[in-house]
Amino acid sequence: MPVPQQLARGDRMGRGPYEKSGIIEDTGLPPGKPVHERFDIFYPMGDVVEKGKTVSKLLTHELDIEVKLWYLPFGSMNADPFLWREFNKKVSISKGGK
Amino acid sequence: MMKAVMQGALAAAVLAVLLVSPSFAEKAGIGWKETIVAKSGKAKTIAELVKMYDSSSCIECHKDKHDEAAKSIHSRSIFGTGRTAMTFMSSIENGLMEQPYSGVKSPKDVKVEHLMGCAKCHLPQLADAEDSVAQELVSTLYGWKEARAKKDKAAVQKGEETLKSLNIGCLVCHNRNAITHKWQDGYPKAGVVYGSKEGDHPSEKFPKMAVSPIIGEAIQCGQCHGLGPHLDLDQPTQCCTSYGSYLWAYKSEMGQDSCQDCHMKKSKLGHNIQSYRDPAMIKAAVDFKVDAFGYHWRDNTEIMPKAVVKVEMVNRSGHSIPDG
Repeated sequence: MPVPQQLARGDRMGRGPYEKSGIIEDTGLPPGKPVHERFDIFYPMGDVVEKGKTVSKLLTHELDIEVKLWYLPFGSMNADPFLWREFNKKVSISKGGK
Repeated sequence: MMKAVMQGALAAAVLAVLLVSPSFAEKAGIGWKETIVAKSGKAKTIAELVKMYDSSSCIECHKDKHDEAAKSIHSRSIFGTGRTAMTFMSSIENGLMEQPYSGVKSPKDVKVEHLMGCAKCHLPQLADAEDSVAQELVSTLYGWKEARAKKDKAAVQKGEETLKSLNIGCLVCHNRNAITHKWQDGYPKAGVVYGSKEGDHPSEKFPKMAVSPIIGEAIQCGQCHGLGPHLDLDQPTQCCTSYGSYLWAYKSEMGQDSCQDCHMKKSKLGHNIQSYRDPAMIKAAVDFKVDAFGYHWRDNTEIMPKAVVKVEMVNRSGHSIPDG
């Protein structure tokens, strides 16, 4: 969203219409231009003891991926959030190999 | 002796004319005396201001449009969801009362000019009111807030009703704000409803129709939906900036739709002008593509499997999202 500048000066963000003048940056989606986001999510690992040694082992081979696009009119999930889009997929990795 | 008496009589007549004339500054352009406010004089009470731009007579023939508009937040532009009303008060306390040269030490000092930072868009017709209306509005806001704190339901409802009576009704867009370039197109006249047609209009109060050159253009909405700070005010304020985004990030990139095209026509919302809350607007606003896959990523000898999620979004609206 447009991040308003406090009284059109300096590096502080303004609050309320009485302070806002100008824009420091816009974190929103610009019209007509593709915006890409990439997320790398590591599968959970846990320490287990094997043959007397502590080793890091994969705890699951499946992740339930959930991506939600929220519209936050007041910049917070605590203030009137709207769920616009949702994506769900179970992502598996192979169990064999080394 | 006779001459002195005549001069005295003339002075009295001039004084009388001054006392009964509507109290607002002369304008340079031609035709402003035909406007609603020039004809009626500035409102002295909230009730007078509501009456000045009363759209209730429109309902008889345009009930469908009225019912649509009643669902839009324009129909409660001062109250909003309650948050707008609260922001008026925080603008007084955290804004005006903290600004050393505003002239406001307490809410009792608030005048119309002080409120125009918000009212320029939330109630543009407040410019057509005396300071007594600003005071009545401020006391209504604080009375409503106090009633909420005391859980006095009747007083809360009464306050809400008064605040909701001040809104962007039919006549704000179809008369008062129907012409932006007044030296070119003339000032909006009392008794005329501005839209897409010329001719007679079967209404006692508004017997004529005239074409507004901007009613279907983005600038009609841009009057309120923001270029950035309102630099015409002694103390600039800023709320939404979507019209600025529309001009510089959409139109400048060959975007062809107007605000009305998306928010009224394609969405089939008509006068129920909506944005991020409405399913049709939400559907049209963004392309959202996501895919995900997993693999065994390794950092030297350490294997750390991961999922990669890629999201592509394209904002299909005519301005940055979010904005307002």
